[in-house]
Amino acid sequence: MIGTEELLAQQLSVWVLLLPLASAAIIALFLRRSGTVAAYLSTAVAAVIGVIAVKLAFGGVRFEIAAEWFTFGDFTLSLGVNYNDLAALMLGIVGVVGFFIHLFSLGYMHDDGAKARFFGGLSVFMFSMIGIVLADNLFMMFIFWELVGFSSFLLINHYCLKDSAAAASKKAFIVNRVGDFGFLIGILWCYQAYGTVSLSGLEEAVGAGAQLTMWVPLLLFCGAMGKSAQMPLHVWLPDAMEGPTPVSALIHAATMVAAGIYMLCRIEVLMVADALNIIMWIGTVTALYAALCAVVQSDIKKVLAYSTLSQLGYMVAAFGLGSLVVEHDGHEVLIAAGVGAAMFHLTTHAFFKALMFLGSGSVIYGCHHEQNIFKMGGLAKKMPITFVTFTIGVFAIAGLPFVTAGFFSKDAILHLAQMKNPAVFGILVFTAVLTTFYMFRLWRITFFGETRSDAAAHAHESPLTMTLPLIALAVMSIFGGYTHGALGFLYGHAFDGVWSQIPHAEGLGVVLLSLAIIGVGAGAALAFYKPAGADALATKAPGAFAGLTLLKESFDTAYTWWVAKVQDRFAMLLNFLEQIFLAGLIVRGLAGVVGLLGLGARALHTGNLHAYVYWFLLGVVVLWGFAGGLF
Amino acid sequence: MSILPAIGLHHYLIVAGLVFALGFLGVLVRRNTLVLYMSLELMLVASTIALVAFSRFNGTMDGNVFVFFILTVAAAEVAVGLAIIVALFRRRQTVQVEQLTALKN
Repeated sequence: MIGTEELLAQQLSVWVLLLPLASAAIIALFLRRSGTVAAYLSTAVAAVIGVIAVKLAFGGVRFEIAAEWFTFGDFTLSLGVNYNDLAALMLGIVGVVGFFIHLFSLGYMHDDGAKARFFGGLSVFMFSMIGIVLADNLFMMFIFWELVGFSSFLLINHYCLKDSAAAASKKAFIVNRVGDFGFLIGILWCYQAYGTVSLSGLEEAVGAGAQLTMWVPLLLFCGAMGKSAQMPLHVWLPDAMEGPTPVSALIHAATMVAAGIYMLCRIEVLMVADALNIIMWIGTVTALYAALCAVVQSDIKKVLAYSTLSQLGYMVAAFGLGSLVVEHDGHEVLIAAGVGAAMFHLTTHAFFKALMFLGSGSVIYGCHHEQNIFKMGGLAKKMPITFVTFTIGVFAIAGLPFVTAGFFSKDAILHLAQMKNPAVFGILVFTAVLTTFYMFRLWRITFFGETRSDAAAHAHESPLTMTLPLIALAVMSIFGGYTHGALGFLYGHAFDGVWSQIPHAEGLGVVLLSLAIIGVGAGAALAFYKPAGADALATKAPGAFAGLTLLKESFDTAYTWWVAKVQDRFAMLLNFLEQIFLAGLIVRGLAGVVGLLGLGARALHTGNLHAYVYWFLLGVVVLWGFAGGLF
Repeated sequence: MSILPAIGLHHYLIVAGLVFALGFLGVLVRRNTLVLYMSLELMLVASTIALVAFSRFNGTMDGNVFVFFILTVAAAEVAVGLAIIVALFRRRQTVQVEQLTALKN
């Protein structure tokens, strides 16, 4: 017998999943021409989701429910909800950040011609994302995994009349499919190996001593590689910035791209050391590579996109670093430090990166859709709220000690790296310096100096629907790092299951390290970049600039080469074979035979009644003969 | 008793067969739809003769009951068929089958 409180929580979890679907359906069916109503509906639903997510998290009820969907032989596919502290945290992030981004979109998309499609897409996204968060088995997760891919496609392609947007959405979808293929094989392998794909079932199987293999987690990680844009499948994320800025903030910074890391944390029990090692290195290399690319970008959103890639690399690396033995109340305990650190950074990153993306959205809105930072400048005075909140975001990602969330989460990852792997630690510290460097470059060039274009000269502060989310997210970016104690009011004790896994470094060394990172990175950026109309690196060190640009483009070049030289030729060969065998021999051949038969049959039809009677007579004779046993 | 041999089932069946063959021949060689129709009816009647004969010589009523049904159906069929022929004539001004070749094209 379950208590009413638990029953209520279970019902709420189903509501939170189905509400956005209902909203999307209503918008698609009835509100296609009334964009404003659709926008309010979608935002209201997002608000309800936020409220339910918070209520569920703080209600303290954790549960697992499942309903059978269908059965093949002895294989049963079920749909269910597995709501633990991890899911509660992720649902909270999706709900709360999602609501603020919906609110921001009300302002940002105010004059858009296809508002209904946009907000419908956001609702579809909320539905699919919440599906991933709550899913209690890998098949269900895969279904919603594909759905977020679809909604991402839909929203990147919002300005569908632009060729670049259409191309970017296709690229995002196809690259994700590559990763998802591995994910699907991983799920099938997992079922074959453990006989179940339910998350709790897997935990039991591993607890009972099932043989672990390196391939299952690695194949599942392929899915995360696509969705969380890890190398070498990272190429879609920078292009995805073709979508409207709120979409970039919600899907391509705060939530969807983090789904890969969340999924890894959900299947943490399957991990083995070899797999973790590979995951760690992929994350580390991605973090460094993306940070290098970010240095030479001139589009405000592209800088943030590469920064997102880099931070996702951080989270993946943190996850790959794995568990840690820590001292707790006098005895040693093993904590899943990778999960703790990755989810912690995921949380704070969702706050400050959403903040910065929305800030950039506010800047772009204010500058009449100018995105080039070298054509901005002097916005600090014109857009004070955006400036202050964006500054908080920059400090948060740089990890300013104690006053920002980024400090605590990045510090947890660096501490873990220091304990586990010095090489990774070194690379991550260097990446952190680079992060500070490119963020301060962006910050200085965008907000200071002279205005360098007409668009920037006529910039104005954005309306309240846009600044309010900025302020809220700024508050979370400041206090999001306090997981407990007096300042931890954001979380209470709702997520202690996750927070207890965070590795904490003690002492002054951490603060000094963080300050040194900021000092070097920010100092170099502020000294090197003056607010000017051209990139200082391109004029002073064209070699380095060209090198980094080449590095950024190398993957796209390689993929283009592969597609043009290998894939297209293979496709041509297949087409040739298809023309000869399928289209020629089988399709045309069969049609020819049937046509010949038809020609013969047509000759029998003279249209003369007597001819038919004679045929009939012949038939009767044959039948008679047959009945009489003549043949 | 009589110079005629006793009339048995065979005789009836031979008559029925002859009438049927006559009808079938008519269907094969005649060109007028109306006559074709009469020939068809002749074939039906031939089968009823056979059925009545069977009934008579088996001492049961089965064949007779069949005949009632056949007559009923034939009556209905004739009503429809004649109506079709009349309609056909009104439309095409002919009931000769060699001129009714719409199925061909």
